[in-house]
Amino acid sequence: MAAKDLVTSGNTVIGPSILINGKLTGDEDLTVRGRVEGELSLTKTLIVEPSGVVKANVTVKNAVVSGVVVGNIQATESVELTQEGRMVGDIRAPRVIIIDGASFRGRVDMGELPPGRSLPERTTPRAQLRPTVRSLPAPPPRPAAAAARPGNTGATVPARKPGGMPGIVRAETARPAPPAPPAPPVVAAGAKKKVVLKKKK
Amino acid sequence: MANTVIGSSIVIDGEISGDEDLVIQGTVKGKISLRESLFVEGSGVVEADIETQNVEIAGRVTGNIQATDKVELKADCRVVGDVKAPRILIADGASFKGNVDMDVKER
Amino acid sequence: MAQADQVGVIGKGIVIRGNLTGGGNLVIEGRVEGQIALKNHLTIENTGRVQADIRADELTINGEASGNIDASSRVAISASAKVAGDIKAPRVVIEDGAVFNGSIEMDVKLPEDI
Repeated sequence: MAAKDLVTSGNTVIGPSILINGKLTGDEDLTVRGRVEGELSLTKTLIVEPSGVVKANVTVKNAVVSGVVVGNIQATESVELTQEGRMVGDIRAPRVIIIDGASFRGRVDMGELPPGRSLPERTTPRAQLRPTVRSLPAPPPRPAAAAARPGNTGATVPARKPGGMPGIVRAETARPAPPAPPAPPVVAAGAKKKVVLKKKK
Repeated sequence: MANTVIGSSIVIDGEISGDEDLVIQGTVKGKISLRESLFVEGSGVVEADIETQNVEIAGRVTGNIQATDKVELKADCRVVGDVKAPRILIADGASFKGNVDMDVKER
Repeated sequence: MAQADQVGVIGKGIVIRGNLTGGGNLVIEGRVEGQIALKNHLTIENTGRVQADIRADELTINGEASGNIDASSRVAISASAKVAGDIKAPRVVIEDGAVFNGSIEMDVKLPEDI
């Protein structure tokens, strides 16, 4: 009953004990305090609170990450990783803000590149506007990082906690973090396969 | 703690599980399993099998409903599917098609 | 902090091509092309243009930089900065308004069940 009193339309909240596994789309702001796995696309703002876990490929207007995101985020406006935000995946957005304390592994593509460097898949090349650096060839890519990227699916393997309630995930209990996986996986591959991630019921 | 709301423009295709009340104003397809109460509001559309403790339906549900406590079909709801619960309330004006199983002990 | 008072400055009119190494703090207001290896804090000011792979303890970028960055403590990319390259550092800060393209590698502690 209290539930219905709290309801204000246009504001979706995924509570801390809730797990959604699948595809979520919408035209309103979404606040995640629980867990969303699969695919998430919104025309408004995604807020991942400190207890929230999003393991999905995300398409939004804005994203504010204070919790955990594993997957790629594409935003038409901005992506902000707050002090508590943790993310593994690639970000593509015109504005990307990383606050001191946030941790992130992946690529950032703001769509504006100086010439002389080629980053894959840029959507809005505005490089012509920036003629400042052009004489030298691009520095060689970091070979170790490049080699480690493909094929490493360490972070996407679902490590089930034996004592957990079936079908119910509590993000809080998962807080103590293990040593991070050695290198960013190709998150897109793991995150969008919901079959791999599906919990037993 | 009732703090999960699926707003009216949200569409979820997949599974929802959890340990708290859930209010659905949008669309959910797939499967819902909760240990608390589910509220499908007037704008809510659910095409899913539902397992929960309590459920109150004012919107549309297609799928089988199993509740450990109570199922309440409110006026103007549309429900198609089998309902199984110890307590089932169907309000005047509710539209419902399916079997009702209140688990009466047979002798 | 022992060498915090030793600040070298590469002024606006200066262009350096080649390797730049050192132990003190350095502020670049001019241009550097090549490689930079610094034990302490490197600041690239608004007028600074750096095309170099950079190693430093801490790096603050207000100007333009392209190249790979390896910092042992922190990289701060301020709102006026334009940066392209791969960054490896325990802490990376990107202010709103900064332009950055490339990868970032920090140590990300994820929950166990991810």
